Amino acid sequence: MAPPLARFTFGERTIAIDVPHLAFATAIAGWCIWFCQDAWRAQRDVENLIMILPASVLAVILYVFVAAGCVRIVRSPEHDAAAPRQPLGPGMAGKIAGTMALLSAYVIAAPLIGFDVVSFVYILTMLWFLGERRIVVLLLGPALFCTIAIYCFDTILATPLPLLFFSGDAS
Amino acid sequence: MIDLAALAAAVHLLGSSWQPWMVVVPGILIGLIVHAVPGLTTSMALAICLPLIPYMDFLQALIFMTAMYAGALFGVAIPAILLNVPGSAAAVGTTFDGFPMAQAGRHNEALGLALAASCAGQAIAYLLLLCFAEPIAAFAIRLGPPEMLVVALWGMTLIARLRGRHLARGLLAGVFGLLLGTVGLSVRGAARGTFGFDLLLDGIPIVPAIVGLFAAAELFNLVGHDYIVDDLTNRRVDAGRILAGMRDTFRYPGTLLRGALLGSSIGILPGGHAIANLLSYSEAQRAAKDPEKFGTGDPRGIIAAESANASSEGGSMATLLALGIPTGGATAVMLVAFGMHNITGGPAFMRDHTDLVYAVILSSLAQVGILAVVGFGFIFVAGFVVKVRLRMLVPIVLALAVIGSFALAQNMAGPITLAVFAVIGWLMQRFDYPVAAVVVGLLLGRLTEGALLRTYQMSGGEIGFMATRPIALGMLVLFAVSVALPYLRPARPRVAASG
Repeated sequence: MAPPLARFTFGERTIAIDVPHLAFATAIAGWCIWFCQDAWRAQRDVENLIMILPASVLAVILYVFVAAGCVRIVRSPEHDAAAPRQPLGPGMAGKIAGTMALLSAYVIAAPLIGFDVVSFVYILTMLWFLGERRIVVLLLGPALFCTIAIYCFDTILATPLPLLFFSGDAS
Repeated sequence: MIDLAALAAAVHLLGSSWQPWMVVVPGILIGLIVHAVPGLTTSMALAICLPLIPYMDFLQALIFMTAMYAGALFGVAIPAILLNVPGSAAAVGTTFDGFPMAQAGRHNEALGLALAASCAGQAIAYLLLLCFAEPIAAFAIRLGPPEMLVVALWGMTLIARLRGRHLARGLLAGVFGLLLGTVGLSVRGAARGTFGFDLLLDGIPIVPAIVGLFAAAELFNLVGHDYIVDDLTNRRVDAGRILAGMRDTFRYPGTLLRGALLGSSIGILPGGHAIANLLSYSEAQRAAKDPEKFGTGDPRGIIAAESANASSEGGSMATLLALGIPTGGATAVMLVAFGMHNITGGPAFMRDHTDLVYAVILSSLAQVGILAVVGFGFIFVAGFVVKVRLRMLVPIVLALAVIGSFALAQNMAGPITLAVFAVIGWLMQRFDYPVAAVVVGLLLGRLTEGALLRTYQMSGGEIGFMATRPIALGMLVLFAVSVALPYLRPARPRVAASG
């Protein structure tokens, strides 16, 4: 079943709002407005604003249409206003949030600690998080990946990866 | 058009020694392998191999580099189809129908379609180059910002085509992408939208952003599944079905030819190869009687995108050989290789070394056949990705994408961009915004702004300036006809009936 919309009553009229979608659209439009204002502040001339200004105005106009689509009038109390999207499967919200959080942690920790160690820990944690319980796979998989990937990027491609243990010439 | 004496000399050059041919298979394989890793690019592969160039003679070096380029141009399609990871901007169009085909268990056919379209596209482009190298060069030198602006505007119509079910959301996504594409330093040195981070002064790293929007966001959705293809029977890697896909490519000769011609023409423009696939996809969809099938796993989408992507190589090579101007990172590295042999590309090179130019073109035509064989073997191996459990594949692909993004940006801007855009991409999917529209906007943002600005500066704000640019005007007419055609088409039966 689709997730229900938040309902708000004003006098005799009840409206249903798709709050998560409205928040997302507002965030996009807000960024567009901020970006335009930042560009305006940086340099107020045609060369700088030739595309940014008209595109930002267009973004705001489009946002009004999108935002209007997020609001519905509930004609009767029995009327079931649901969000126009499928709900996530059981446990999926947690898995997706966890994957996003682990990816963010990986990106933040890698330059601070080193890609070699953090990549190993990230893959091991992800494997465990996604249901892998075989110890051999949990240890060998990340170790094999890290050895090959770090060797290729650090030694062959001379990428200046921050590394803790395997720091080669490039790092 | 063809200098027959030089052509005969080129045949002799290529036939008199086996040495130039020794580098073709390794070159193609390097190109294919490099693009199996999200974030690695053709120019990076070419640059890594630069130290080998002084040990080869000039012809061998050129053949090696064009082989790598050819392998890479097809290689980007493999992760695009199997993982929804466009290894570069040139493969974005391939994901639109490639990944839906893979999810439906038709990955064999999709890979076969991509390989055949890529080979055919390259063959057509090099045949054109062989016959019209000099006219193409003369044409290329007359192209400037106004023409590029028309091409960019043409590319932007794809945003409207990719709007999905909701027009306002699709257009908002496209405009959002356009603005994201202009983040960073302006032409006059003003920092815009960088949040004070020096890392963003060069703009948002495009490839990590695309990988985040497409791949990482898609992988988030796959974490609850066991395999990319749910049905066990469809997970097989089947040579027969790959061949069937290759055969199917030639059932759509119009799509193939249009893609190849568009790719060859746009490839001569700086940065053109990145949007050739999108433009070709857009035109194929526009020309189709059933455009709603595009984006759901339609073979024509893959053929259009891949033929244009592959044929853009011919256009780039025309500009490189005849004018000595690189149109992208890969051809810029090739120009460095020219320098290692004390050779400068350009009209003098074309005039004095016509036999060498023909030898490169002929060897590239031969490479197409070799790519078909090597590429077939490679996709047969790469196709086994669908047999890997997602709980193993997801962390490995994400980790590779993060490390690859770092390698590409050479700093943390790459991985951070990837992570941020992965979340944005997932949210966009969740709220039914077309992610592809953001990507098109992102690709075209800076290109359009630059072309618009230079056109404005050249014209001094006078609209009549366009009348002095016949090529731009001609392109504008073609653009207008192309946009108007789908609206005129349903009227035809009525006109016929009334007539």
